[in-house]
Amino acid sequence: MANSSSILGLNSRNHLFQSRFNRRTGKEIADSKLATKKFLDKYKILTPVLYGVFYQPSDVPKFNWGSLTENFVIKPAEGYGGGGIVIIKKRVSGDEFMTMDRKIIGLDDLKLHVLDILEGHYSIHGLAGTAFIEERIMIHPLFRRFTYQGTPDVRVIVFNKIPVMAMLRLPTAESAGKANLHQGAIGVGVDIASGKTTYGVWNDQLIKLIPGKNLRIAGLAIPFWDQILLTSIKIQAKLVNLGYMAVDFVIDQVRGPMVLELTARPGLRIQIANLAGLRRRLERIEGVEVDELDKGVRIAKDLFGLRPRGKKRDELAVFETVEVYADNKKRVKIDAKVDTGAYRTSIDRNLAKKLGLLKKKNVLWTTHFESALGKENRPIIGLTLWIGGQKILTTASVASRGDLKTKIIIGRRDMKGFIIKP
Amino acid sequence: MKRFIYLVVFVCLLWLPARVWAQEPIVSPEVTASAEASQSASEATPSSIVEKIVEKQPDITQPTAETTGKLEGYLSSQKLAPLGLTNFLQYAIHGAVKQGVPANTIVLLLLFPLIAALIASARHIVGLRGFGIFTPAIISVALVATGIVAGLLLFGMILVVATLSRVFLRKLRLQYLPRMALLLWFVSLGVLTVIFLSPYIGQPNLTAVTIFPILILILLAENFIEVQSSGNMREAIRVTAETLLMALFCFFIMNLEVLQKFVLTNPELTVIGVAVYDLFVGKYVGLRIMEYWRFRQIIKHG
Repeated sequence: MANSSSILGLNSRNHLFQSRFNRRTGKEIADSKLATKKFLDKYKILTPVLYGVFYQPSDVPKFNWGSLTENFVIKPAEGYGGGGIVIIKKRVSGDEFMTMDRKIIGLDDLKLHVLDILEGHYSIHGLAGTAFIEERIMIHPLFRRFTYQGTPDVRVIVFNKIPVMAMLRLPTAESAGKANLHQGAIGVGVDIASGKTTYGVWNDQLIKLIPGKNLRIAGLAIPFWDQILLTSIKIQAKLVNLGYMAVDFVIDQVRGPMVLELTARPGLRIQIANLAGLRRRLERIEGVEVDELDKGVRIAKDLFGLRPRGKKRDELAVFETVEVYADNKKRVKIDAKVDTGAYRTSIDRNLAKKLGLLKKKNVLWTTHFESALGKENRPIIGLTLWIGGQKILTTASVASRGDLKTKIIIGRRDMKGFIIKP
Repeated sequence: MKRFIYLVVFVCLLWLPARVWAQEPIVSPEVTASAEASQSASEATPSSIVEKIVEKQPDITQPTAETTGKLEGYLSSQKLAPLGLTNFLQYAIHGAVKQGVPANTIVLLLLFPLIAALIASARHIVGLRGFGIFTPAIISVALVATGIVAGLLLFGMILVVATLSRVFLRKLRLQYLPRMALLLWFVSLGVLTVIFLSPYIGQPNLTAVTIFPILILILLAENFIEVQSSGNMREAIRVTAETLLMALFCFFIMNLEVLQKFVLTNPELTVIGVAVYDLFVGKYVGLRIMEYWRFRQIIKHG
């Protein structure tokens, strides 16, 4: 139900999230790719191997350029939007290199490019910059058919230690091997729950096939998905001064996900690629406390994962018998009431306790609920349900339902794809 | 050795203007202007050029008798209520104008925050980007000074020269700042060419253009080149076009005589109104109008 208020625009991104949750110390780390590398190394989070750093022009002749043979990238440490990045595939002869888009450039050009970066040509603030050279991560074989001359990366937006939305970015001929959407790369939405691709966006146009190739975009499973989600949460847990950020991963076939960079001002096109608004998602998890990292993954999957839509239009009566997955791994049949007036599914406190669902590891967070009956703390738990034979992973609020006949209320969130029989 | 040559050339460059000053007696601009005028008249050059200079319409950025006269006329026809909290600015303006402050300066200073507020809302409510707030605002003032056709002509020339010379300079492999300096060299020569040619292309306004509007237009060219070299061409053109669009809009707003009269005679209302409007724009967190289009698929999909 995407209406315009669920979408994050530039105003709301800057005003409601970036300025409130991103502090200067956090931004300083994200704004410099070198500072990011140093920070992540400290916590043993993998990044591409660093070959060399240039702080001042005199570093350029000092560097051992002969050591570079193939697969390296020159980057401005303070660059943004992919500007100033030169990707080299191999050395063709003594002083000549081949870029990813098969252009031949000389060693002099590379040196001049480094000097340009030091001059601040690509810096966010236009002040003197720093340049560095790092390894180029090879394209994962799974992505090879989908990409053009460049390594795709996976962007995860994390807020409040919960991954909110994700996107796979595929370089195209237009983007010259780079993965930045505004340079012409394709953005592909990724379902947070399954790690599978959904829709594609290319130059703000919605696409279903890779342009020029007869390849369907949807349904590609991203390798190491849970590890990607967990790493992004881990980074935010260490970087509390960056409450709203994006983590960009490249996936190495052997070493797994490696962090390319952190972004304190992630773009908004990711919403088109996922056909979903960010603002509503962010507002839903604002203030939620995530005490264990894997709970962040669980909350993200439950809240933001796609619901399988019912294949045949199943009907739901007002009173339905559903099955609940108890802590002892058994499916328990319980009478439930289907209530279109409630948004979230809720479960009786005693029943939840009996099923072992109130254990600490299953409580995702606690809300303060105020009603005519006074104030009450309601835990939100992870719940696995079978409704009409369909398995649904969801969250449920725990409330005392006392003597009421039905101990579970099915809310609107979990009715997608069903027809309600009045 | 090479370093020494650089040093010598640099010192010569510094010394050159000093020599010129030393040789020429310092004269006030009016004297030279009149001397030149009489000289050109006595030499019987085609009189059309001189006439066209005279024909140039005075604009609001110059305190000529014609522009200030009209504005002061508005003031003198205004009857002031007894001094109070609601009209102290009116008294201040009347006093300043009596002391000889040009009325057009006051009008421009009062209009400038309004222009800035309009540009801010063009970004935050409409969604046009442009190069910040200062560039479009000041370009609109430059356009007012040069006149619209002459201004656009100059700007077009500056852009073409800057783009072409950037492509050319890339091949020379120079470092950034010297490269930019050479680029400005090309741009200045380009502007000079336009001014030399202006009598023949029927743009008399150009001959009388002062240096500051030109410099301001060059400023935009620098912004354009920067986006062009770090991002892509399409982006650069788009942002430049949006900047120009905003500048043009502000140009028309500033040229509205009704508005000039209004701000001059109701300064308090103008100042407070603009501030309140800015506060509202600053608190707006909804989607920008252009974002409704950008995210239309998400809205439709819902």
